[in-house]
Amino acid sequence: MRYREPICFITLSIAAWLCLSVSGEPGASAFSYGTEAGKNDACLACHGDPAQVSKAVFIDTEHFNQTTHARIGCEACHGKVPAAHPDGGKVSRAGCGECHADVDQEYATGLHVKKTSCNGCHNPHLVHSPKEVSGQEINAMCSNCHNALEMTAKHGEWLPQSELHLRMLPCITCHTGAKEYYISMYIVKSKNDSLFGKQEVAGYGELKRISGGNEIVSLIDKNRDNYVSLEELRLFNRSQSSLRLHGMMTPVAVSHKFEILDDRRNCTFCHTSGPALMQTSFIAVPEADGSYSRVPVEKGAVLDALYGTPDFYMMGSTKNNALNKIGLAIICGGLIMPVGHGFVRFLTRKNRNTKEHKS
Amino acid sequence: MSENSSEKNRIYLQPWPVRIWHWINACGIIALIVTGAQIRFPESVALLPNYKSAIDIHNVTGLVVSISFSFWFFYYKMVKNTLDKLYIPDEEDLKHGLVRQLLYYCFWYFLGRPSPYHATPDHKFNPMQKSAYLAVMFVLMPLVGLTGILLLNVTPLRVLVLMWGGIKFIVALHFLLACSLLAFLCTHVYLATLGNYIKPMLVGWEDVEEHEEKPVAAPAAIPGYRPVRHYPEYEVMQHEQRQG
Repeated sequence: MRYREPICFITLSIAAWLCLSVSGEPGASAFSYGTEAGKNDACLACHGDPAQVSKAVFIDTEHFNQTTHARIGCEACHGKVPAAHPDGGKVSRAGCGECHADVDQEYATGLHVKKTSCNGCHNPHLVHSPKEVSGQEINAMCSNCHNALEMTAKHGEWLPQSELHLRMLPCITCHTGAKEYYISMYIVKSKNDSLFGKQEVAGYGELKRISGGNEIVSLIDKNRDNYVSLEELRLFNRSQSSLRLHGMMTPVAVSHKFEILDDRRNCTFCHTSGPALMQTSFIAVPEADGSYSRVPVEKGAVLDALYGTPDFYMMGSTKNNALNKIGLAIICGGLIMPVGHGFVRFLTRKNRNTKEHKS
Repeated sequence: MSENSSEKNRIYLQPWPVRIWHWINACGIIALIVTGAQIRFPESVALLPNYKSAIDIHNVTGLVVSISFSFWFFYYKMVKNTLDKLYIPDEEDLKHGLVRQLLYYCFWYFLGRPSPYHATPDHKFNPMQKSAYLAVMFVLMPLVGLTGILLLNVTPLRVLVLMWGGIKFIVALHFLLACSLLAFLCTHVYLATLGNYIKPMLVGWEDVEEHEEKPVAAPAAIPGYRPVRHYPEYEVMQHEQRQG
């Protein structure tokens, strides 16, 4: 009994250590790489103020604080800040490959490596994980270098309705060798609430206002179980007049090779009815910090549920089965005459032969 | 038409612009049906080597058929000025002609009686043909063409697409209209085998048989029967009435 207290103390210590280890997985919101996060404030005191630093080294504090990079802290990348900083000496900068070695190696084998480094597309102080961006944001990155008009013309050499394709798809859907895809849906809103207005990705503030201050997802997820059923999706499409959902086919794992793959020129890669690629889907809901959170949607041919969307339709993929049956009935109606009349015609052929002989 | 005896029994029924238009239309519509089926059902229809070729052929053929349709309309309306007369059923057609033609197809034909209608260049179609072609040429064809043009230009014509109810509605309409055209095509081809319709559409001329020139006695046994204009019996009746 006299060892009871030390045994309890040791057991509790081990349990607490285990709990902390499990909850502290990298990427979890509560995770901290140590004490560096606390030191961000010292850096951002100057670098977060546009009046004190040049544009090149200014960091948007609000956005930066939401990134995974903020969690690992400034010194994780800029380890050797000279004592004389800011008056003298260069601040060291870690290469992206030091943490993202696999991406770095893959990128080195791709087409872009000769054109730009990681920074060319990703601002390390604003970077979000692929889960936190909408499809259109991915394309915005590409359009920094690839002029949209030029790309439309270039794709138009072989791709029907190239402008429509480029507007509705993230570039990486075709230009990565991903094997698994999901449908990423995001909420769009007509410009000036006009039915014919151009549809743009609805922002956080606007959606918050429309939802009456509630969580944005409650516009779609009526029972607020953080899971959208196909029925809830249909209901949203029918009930909303100004908001719509657009679906984008997005790779699950984004590769950085940016290949030109011939099999993606096979239209049936996307344009077939309910392929396995289109069974998993999420709704990208905007967050206050400018990122997006994913709300899972019931598995199934989700694009078929978007009936209320006036300008979303995927030829060959999102067809209505009830309509197919009506079409078949119409064609069968057209066959009544040849089949029915032809049959009686065959049975009564003697009548006509007799008359012909008489005449 | 010549007056000499050798051509006396032939009538020039289908002028060459109409024949060219008809066969462009025929080949075009078949190509559109085949490619359209592949576009809508890529997982089960693969008559063309790939989806893109189906889309390309569908788009080009659709445009060719639309343009040839416009020429057809222009030719009959502006050049021949007979569009209304040929395609819009008149009062007599509606009152009696339709029923008579229907009776012919449903009963008289099987009994071996001759067709109550004989085509002339100004009245090429029997009342049933007129009604069917009116629906096909003035409703189905223009609508299927217009919806096709909208789907071909979704981005530039976005406002028009939305005014029509959106892509999904236009696709549904385009599909149902196409099914209706296919249904019509089945009936059209079958009915062409009933009479002497295919040869004039190939060469333009129709051979008129001798007995058709002779007055045909009105089938008095049919209750409510009354001969109408364009039918051989009508002339007999007019003649008898004049004679008192």
